[in-house]
Amino acid sequence: MNDMLAVRVEGLTRTYPTDGQPVTALAGVDAAFARGTFTAVMGPSGSGKSTLLQTAAGLDRPSSGQVWVGDTELSQLSETKLTELRRDRIGFVFQSFNLIGALTVEENILLPARLAGEKPDWHWLGSVIERVGLTNSLTRRPAQLSGGQQQRVAIARALAVRPDVVFADEPTGALDTETAAEVLGLLRSMVDEFGQTVVMVTHDPVAASYADRVLVLADGRIVRDLPQLGAEKIAEVLATRRKG
Amino acid sequence: MLKLAMRLLRQRPGASVATLVALAGGVMILMSLAVFVQSGLQYKPEPQQFAAADVVVAHRQITVSTKEFDGEVTTSEVPLPEGTVPAGLADQIRTVPGVTDVQAVNVQDGRAGAITIKAPGSAYAAIDKLARDAGVESYAGDERGWAEASSSIEARSLLITAGSAFGGYVVMLIVFVVAGTVGLSVRHRRRDLALLRAIAATPAQVRRLVVAEAAVVSLASAVIGVPAGLWATRWVHDQLVSRGFLPDGFPIVNPGLAALVAVALTTLVAVLAARIAARRVARIRPAEALGEIAVEPAKGGRVRLASGLIMLAGAVVSLFFAAALGGTAALAAAVGMLYLFVLAVALLAPWINGFAARLLAPVLRTVWGVSGDLASANLRVNARGMSAVLSALVLSVGFGGSVWFLQDNLQRQTVAQSREGMLADRVVTAPGGLPAATVAKVRQIPGVEAATGIRNTSVVVRVFGGAEPAVARAADPAQLRSTMDVKVREGSLAGLTDGTIAVSALQASTSSWKVGDTADLWLADGTPVKPRVVAIYDRGLGFGDVLLPQTGGTYDEVLVRTQGGADQQLAAFGTVTTTDELTGRLSRDLAVTAWLNKLLIAVMVGYAALAAGNTMVMAALARGRELALLRLAGVTRRQVRRMVNAEQVGLLGTSLTVGALIAGATLIAVVHALTGTFLPYIPPLGWVIVLGGTAALALATTILPVSRLLRVPPVRAAGTKE
Repeated sequence: MNDMLAVRVEGLTRTYPTDGQPVTALAGVDAAFARGTFTAVMGPSGSGKSTLLQTAAGLDRPSSGQVWVGDTELSQLSETKLTELRRDRIGFVFQSFNLIGALTVEENILLPARLAGEKPDWHWLGSVIERVGLTNSLTRRPAQLSGGQQQRVAIARALAVRPDVVFADEPTGALDTETAAEVLGLLRSMVDEFGQTVVMVTHDPVAASYADRVLVLADGRIVRDLPQLGAEKIAEVLATRRKG
Repeated sequence: MLKLAMRLLRQRPGASVATLVALAGGVMILMSLAVFVQSGLQYKPEPQQFAAADVVVAHRQITVSTKEFDGEVTTSEVPLPEGTVPAGLADQIRTVPGVTDVQAVNVQDGRAGAITIKAPGSAYAAIDKLARDAGVESYAGDERGWAEASSSIEARSLLITAGSAFGGYVVMLIVFVVAGTVGLSVRHRRRDLALLRAIAATPAQVRRLVVAEAAVVSLASAVIGVPAGLWATRWVHDQLVSRGFLPDGFPIVNPGLAALVAVALTTLVAVLAARIAARRVARIRPAEALGEIAVEPAKGGRVRLASGLIMLAGAVVSLFFAAALGGTAALAAAVGMLYLFVLAVALLAPWINGFAARLLAPVLRTVWGVSGDLASANLRVNARGMSAVLSALVLSVGFGGSVWFLQDNLQRQTVAQSREGMLADRVVTAPGGLPAATVAKVRQIPGVEAATGIRNTSVVVRVFGGAEPAVARAADPAQLRSTMDVKVREGSLAGLTDGTIAVSALQASTSSWKVGDTADLWLADGTPVKPRVVAIYDRGLGFGDVLLPQTGGTYDEVLVRTQGGADQQLAAFGTVTTTDELTGRLSRDLAVTAWLNKLLIAVMVGYAALAAGNTMVMAALARGRELALLRLAGVTRRQVRRMVNAEQVGLLGTSLTVGALIAGATLIAVVHALTGTFLPYIPPLGWVIVLGGTAALALATTILPVSRLLRVPPVRAAGTKE
């Protein structure tokens, strides 16, 4: 196993049983995500990008194929072991409903550590909280925060355990352009300043332009693997793909 | 985990309050019921009349042995309030060494009410043997109280009978309601729990969290439920005393144990229900959970479907039994059928709701247009979420409709039979009774056409698995047919002489007696007799199930048929009243007896309705976002209201129809078994209460909360989190 890789997937397929023909969301995907990089996963609706993220993150199990997070292969893990792995080594930022409304900002951030029964690393947490700009909001409830602030809490929570990788599923999907830019800048700086690995699903070329690398999915396969090109170029590539 | 559970509970006050109310109600009901049953079980009568005696010989119960199908012999003891002992036994007891004093009490015709004995402990065994050989019992020490006939002993058996008859059903109902409410409150929080699963919590941790929440709410409910239970116990006790069910001095046990049992049971049920609900939530993969939140699985599991169908099959089989069998066996089958139907509906509720939504779709569309379409779509999607409402309402209507109206039917039939069958127009009563000679004198009075002496008594008859008392009347057969018309169906009362009886049709079919058969029963004093059945009559409710001939001795009352103008001369023998007054009194007595049944039914129905309301409020308040989205999509506020109304009509209409069908089937089966008529009577007020109550429930629990939700501007509501 290559130490440089945070996550690697091989021969990944995922089909969903339906009443009629089973739906194929992933039709054999191989990909690797190097440590300290920011990857955007793009593609039209139904291309399998969210399924790729969920299977790579251990939220869903693939129909076949393998997933490594660091040097742990996920397919053989029990649901409890898988949860423990997610808790200790993976961070999540979803589009919305990221936070438990009953808990304060601080409690939300500490929740994974608390459920793991571990002592939080206050030094690390302090620098993360300061970087995401929540130092003065720790005792507030999610309902008292704006959408952008809520995503900052989610990012802080995702980073709280110093994960191997942070998975973000449309993290700016529910935000206005300006707030979205702030959140994306924050994710970018996590990679640059803290050496984190981020894998982000998005359909927004502007969001993807913050990444180092863009994977484009269509019909459950990777059709492009591009280095960072800039938002316009990305949009162009997606447009050609759509026509073709 | 406990701390986290508390924090999560605080965030969802609505669901927590609903669970709290259901649990506290359960604790209250269970606790008061348990206090009375425990008081009955622990009651020990204090010897008063016989306090000075060392041993009392009396006949207060008979032991009936029955051979079961498998050849095993079971014995059951039946209380005998009027039992007597042979007076001659006193002489035998006097011969026992050590016995110093023997008194036969209330001796009449060679029988004594009891024999009191002063003797040292060494003589007890010999006395007991003599008593047993004579077929009666001896009571020594603390046991002496049982030898005295007292209203407390009757009250004790009432408490135990009522408690055991209803206890099981009350427990079943509370289990259903608590499990349903807890399960629903867990399902309403799938989003939180799914998020916890996704970011950090293992399945075991989610289970522990949900169970911890249920335990916290259960303990909080004890804080409300136990004082409420104390209050309810006191209120019911006062009512029982003032209505004459319970003597004032009847000892009521300390409610501590009952409270403990009630709290432990509800907590256990809540925790188990939470565990089962949590398993469903914890088992699904986090990705599925995140996607599945908005639309929950529409149907229940296969096990649920299978058990529901088995219950339904059982109910249908019971229906055939109820129709084919006669007498009390048909009653038992009908009651079994009621419970099986209710259980089947509770289990099959998701499928019934889904089916009804499809069936009603064209109707709702025709009446409410687009709103009706939306309503039937919602009913289909929420088939599972609303199954608790369906089960609770079906239970209310099914139980309430059958058992409550059954009381009305019984009362009405009894009064009607007694009024129609009463040919006499005057009744003479006197304290201490009227001797047979008086009847002869009454017949001599000018203007008197016929007179019949009646003694109200009871007999003990065999039923499967034991024996039970039946209402009987001992009557002077001479002019019987002129003073009362019991509506003889087979045989003739002309043959009612010594060694024969006449029985009601209900009793005849219960004991499978035909005219000419030899019956096997015990008289009220415990004497076993084998009379021949000479007639079977219809008016058993009005005139008792067994009619015995009695030509001498003392009567309780004399029924007199006059041409008028005999009152003054009749007054010489005792108090004269009209038979109309007698029927009036009968009707009032029946109302008092029915009160206890109606109280128990009201408690059950009220609790079930509370559960339905709880669920509906929880569901209505969770719809803020959904309704806002509809309005943003262009549905007007009026259309949303119409949609909600159409949903209520669909859901409550289904519940009422299913409930009414079950109640109707039970009521017809029972009323037919008891009275022979296929048409049960339903008081007009009954309809008003059932329909009005359901409408009020819909209004209070859904339409008003939804109206409040609609006042919030949709843009703001759409943004709020669920």
